[in-house]
Amino acid sequence: MSFLQLTQGPLWYLASAVFVIGVAWRLIGLLRLGRGPDRSVARRSGVAGALKAIALHSVPHGGNLKRTIYHFVTGYGFHLGLFTLLFFAAPHVAFIKGLTGLSWTPLPRWGFLIAAEAAFAGLILMWLRRMTDPVMRRLSDADDHIATWLVFIVMLTGCLALQEAHDSLRALHLLCVEALMIYFPFSRLMHAFTFLVARAYTGATYGRRGVTP
Amino acid sequence: MMTNPIAPKTAHLAGPGLLAGVLALLAALLLTLALAAPAMAQTVRPPANATTNVLPPGPEMRGGVLGNRSDGAIWHDIRKGAAGESQDLRAGSGVLIQSQGEDWRLIRNQWVLPIAWKVLAGVLAVLIVFFALRGRIRIRGGRSGRVIPRFSLVERVVHWFVASLFILMGITGLIILFGRPFLLPLIGPGAFAALASASLQGHNLFGPIFIVSITALFVTFARGNGFRWVDLKWLLKGGGMLGGHASSGRYNFGEKTWFWWASLCGLALSLSGLLLLFPDHLPGFLQTASAEVPPERTLMQWATLVHAVAAAAFIGFGLGHIYLGTIGMEGALEGMTRGTVDETWAKEHHDLWYEDHKAAASANASRAEVRAAAGDV
Repeated sequence: MSFLQLTQGPLWYLASAVFVIGVAWRLIGLLRLGRGPDRSVARRSGVAGALKAIALHSVPHGGNLKRTIYHFVTGYGFHLGLFTLLFFAAPHVAFIKGLTGLSWTPLPRWGFLIAAEAAFAGLILMWLRRMTDPVMRRLSDADDHIATWLVFIVMLTGCLALQEAHDSLRALHLLCVEALMIYFPFSRLMHAFTFLVARAYTGATYGRRGVTP
Repeated sequence: MMTNPIAPKTAHLAGPGLLAGVLALLAALLLTLALAAPAMAQTVRPPANATTNVLPPGPEMRGGVLGNRSDGAIWHDIRKGAAGESQDLRAGSGVLIQSQGEDWRLIRNQWVLPIAWKVLAGVLAVLIVFFALRGRIRIRGGRSGRVIPRFSLVERVVHWFVASLFILMGITGLIILFGRPFLLPLIGPGAFAALASASLQGHNLFGPIFIVSITALFVTFARGNGFRWVDLKWLLKGGGMLGGHASSGRYNFGEKTWFWWASLCGLALSLSGLLLLFPDHLPGFLQTASAEVPPERTLMQWATLVHAVAAAAFIGFGLGHIYLGTIGMEGALEGMTRGTVDETWAKEHHDLWYEDHKAAASANASRAEVRAAAGDV
């Protein structure tokens, strides 16, 4: 069995299983926590509060644009770039088609490059801020750094394999992706699934009390 | 970057084995010539009835049944870049052999590459010897325990942004530039092909971000990096290496030179890199008509040479900067990591700047760090 076959076969299925089961386990665990009883009379709709919180917390608000503009720009640059690459890069579309039979129009090369530039610049700048800002540096722990570096290495190996001419580069990228998938459920990377739930929960709680969070 | 897969190895890369082989070959050739000379002398003279104006056998002549030019003459013209006819009407399509490309290859392989790697290896060697002889430059007065804010958060983020891309671009660029002579023999063609492909993709991808970062660096650090008379005095004292104290403001002569060096190299790398990335999208004023060589090809050839020279200059100076900023000098790195420097360090290395900022010195390192992050520097 070649290195590529190993990463496309057994390791891929192992990583996928850990990812799916791990994410499901974490989400079910969160949902099972439920919420405490709120005996106060509802002043406003909890659903409206949840939707409002999701929308408001997705953009700078409350006069804190100047303070958050750095994270706003770099954060959106990174996340939009990353998810554009994940779902619309031509090799990924072909890979998903091979797995599921589903397919859609991939990005042209120039689109891929713009998305990749935005994702890399955003990720590097966010990590540098984490390292140089005295408060953020003290708040950060190993999980933050491991997650950042894993994502960076996955993106890097993917872009290095862009020529699609060498099995070794493809296998290396797959190996890094699998490491990330195994790490994902046990890290703060879970925010990809939990951020909406968390914002909605907070928004609903405060919204019911007539407060905009 | 363009490389010629059939390019011969250059002399600087040949080892003693190759030299011995060449000498042996030369000796064998001389011996053969010496033995064959009497026989050749007897056979070169044509017989008296020989016809001397018959065309050599070969394909039909161009330009007429009888023809007036030999194959040799035609190939000579082709070798010199003569243009023929082609269905493809783009510039240069009728040129079979572009001699300018050979000139470019020779300049690159026999001048730029050997000089570039010798410069880089030389800088590394000098730094190693200097460190071995001089050791780490210590804070002579010892640490004071009080720190002064020196670099703001913006300045540090921009600095490390450039540094990150410098490392990514530097490693991939050096593999592209020197991989064939140095790595190929070590790791073999298969591994080298993958490594070179990966490096090229990475280099092309990070290039545009590097341009953004180096522009940000220039804008962020331009203020304070203009040369002043005190810098000349600093230079004459060898930055304090020649004895006596060398005064300086926020940046000394060496740091200012590095700033302008990095900016100019960054500009050259950016412009030549853009030409190499987008050769088909040249601005109109560069689209000069040429029957023999397409303008984008000439520009790409120049761009690869400028790119290599600027990269070697940037990396060479950068090695010195990295050395002094890390292991070479005590107390320097924390200015760029924490944003603060020790008060004694500031006095010893940037006394004029220290005089203006000594009121900000504090024994509370955390508070000074927060002040630095807020831009109070």
